Amino acid sequence: MGLDRLTSALLLCPLVFLAAACSDGGGRPEHLLDGRPAAELKPVRNSVVAFTRLLEHADVHDCLPTADRGTVAPEALVVERTGVDSHSITFADRDGSRVYACDGGVDPAGERAPPWCGAVVGQRERGRLLDPRLDVVCVDRRHLPLAYVFVEPVARAHWVGVQQDRYVELYEVVAGLPVRIASTRGIELENARAVFEVTQYDAEGRELIREPLEAAVAG
Amino acid sequence: MRAFLAMLGIGLTLSAVSGAQAYHRFWLNCNYDAPTFMTTMTRDAGQDYANAARYEGYQWGGGCWNYDDVDSYPHDPPEQAGTHGEGGDCSGLTFKTWRESTDDWRDGRYYWRALRNAHGPYTAADFRAGYGAPNHTVAKSTAGVMDAFASSTHIGMVFVRSLYGGDQIVEAKCEACGTNIFYRTYRSDSAYGGVGRWGWTG
Repeated sequence: MGLDRLTSALLLCPLVFLAAACSDGGGRPEHLLDGRPAAELKPVRNSVVAFTRLLEHADVHDCLPTADRGTVAPEALVVERTGVDSHSITFADRDGSRVYACDGGVDPAGERAPPWCGAVVGQRERGRLLDPRLDVVCVDRRHLPLAYVFVEPVARAHWVGVQQDRYVELYEVVAGLPVRIASTRGIELENARAVFEVTQYDAEGRELIREPLEAAVAG
Repeated sequence: MRAFLAMLGIGLTLSAVSGAQAYHRFWLNCNYDAPTFMTTMTRDAGQDYANAARYEGYQWGGGCWNYDDVDSYPHDPPEQAGTHGEGGDCSGLTFKTWRESTDDWRDGRYYWRALRNAHGPYTAADFRAGYGAPNHTVAKSTAGVMDAFASSTHIGMVFVRSLYGGDQIVEAKCEACGTNIFYRTYRSDSAYGGVGRWGWTG
């Protein structure tokens, strides 16, 4: 190989790497936390749909403090959500006055048995949570801080989207419960606060409302 | 009459302005300084710290107060963490009094000044479960001074143990009731469990 051709090859190498780096569609993840393919909602550009399912007769006792176990009916509907970095279950107590969430991830203190690293309880008045119940004690697989928070869907909302670093993660609204979303962005661990960029969409993916959600650990 | 009404209007305006200024003056003094790492932490000092927070108000998700024995902004809407009012909430007061770290895996002792706005990562439910390296559950019958009773929604620390059913509890209870020492029967309330802080040195 002559010097000119070698130089050309050396010059081309970075371009090849750049092209390869850009070929994954702007960094949109291809899989969710549990390995299943990450679906996209076409009307929402660069979106990843978190897997959501409704469970009946789910065992939620593993993640609940002993004192709260009796308040949840065995037949309570449980919403399980699996995102790119997150995994959670959400359910209500017998009279619907409290909403619980168990948050998945790694517990840095090593005290909570996997898959759970946190549990929260939120009080509801007139069907709405008093507070979004921010949880900042978990870390993800890369040991980055992972924050969870409840979002109350607005009327006609079918999807709640949260802006992640390279994509919008969408969570489906189901069972009349607030939606537990998660993010690794906008977390201030020192101040136990987090800011989420939240957008809510209707069933066709039309934007209904876009606003930052500022939350603090409280109560 | 017209002059009277005009003066009344001016008076009301001025009184509102001074209230707002008092509020903003208070919040301007809050800071995000680093805590001071300590090697000691006595229950006496814990009592003093919590006692000094009395009358300073209550703020949902808050943790900043001065020592003027007045809630600088007593009428914040409840359950809103961003209103910048004075005082801690129940778990924030406990976190600061117990000299805890914002990292739940650290069990060292960190002194937070009153004007350092800090709440910490724990809710009352977390404390109740003994969650976090510095925290643990204790039998309610053995809970003593500066241990605490916690439910899913509230936590208060034992200020003085009583032999007659209840305890003097130091707690940030609510916006209307502020931070104070109250006689409570949490020890016999099934919704509450006993919790404690590891690492007291006296």
